[in-house]
Amino acid sequence: MSVDLPEVIADRRHLHGLTATMLSDQQLAVTDLFGLRNQGFHSAPGTEEAAALPVPATLLVDRDGTVLWMDLSENYQRRSDPSVVLAAMKTHFDP
Amino acid sequence: MARNTTGTKIGLAAATIAAATTAYWFYLVDEVALPADRSLFVVLFLLAAVLGVLALVKRTSWLGAVPPLLAIVIGLFFPVTMSVSEQIVARDTVIEVGDTVPRFTSVDGSGDTFDSRVLNGHLVLIKFFRAHW
Repeated sequence: MSVDLPEVIADRRHLHGLTATMLSDQQLAVTDLFGLRNQGFHSAPGTEEAAALPVPATLLVDRDGTVLWMDLSENYQRRSDPSVVLAAMKTHFDP
Repeated sequence: MARNTTGTKIGLAAATIAAATTAYWFYLVDEVALPADRSLFVVLFLLAAVLGVLALVKRTSWLGAVPPLLAIVIGLFFPVTMSVSEQIVARDTVIEVGDTVPRFTSVDGSGDTFDSRVLNGHLVLIKFFRAHW
């Protein structure tokens, strides 16, 4: 989930080698549902059309839709460390 | 005059470092390859800013003052934004552990609508990130 436009997602996803579903939330509608809009200062590039950005966050959700674990980044230029996320998945998804 | 020339040269060097570092930064952004540790960028930008100040101390011609001033502005911009880029979420609305994920619809990279109902019954990892850069 990011503020990238769908065509940007289509264009860039090969750079990550990702197969996961990637969603466009340019108006931050979903971000706001989760309360994850960053209210602080951000230095988006001048070409960026998004008015605001989400706080980088990772959530693990169970089969009933309940949040089991989440990680919020302290700095928008940093994202959840993969090793932290993998450890959380091991704890919460493979009990 | 000799002093002016020295300052102008240092100023040009400062602007070159600032410009090259900025260009490399945006290249890595485009490639989605920014390193997690950005201290090298902070060092290079600060070096450009310091050299810019040094150039002005050494005196430049009027026109020669432009590159060091640019180097100072560019060189300080990045470290300053890094130091003030704190996350602030609205405490009363942010989702928490134990909450039920709200139902949502969105659009994927193909322009197709995505309904979060398809996630029901599955273990899911949801990741919010700012954008490809």
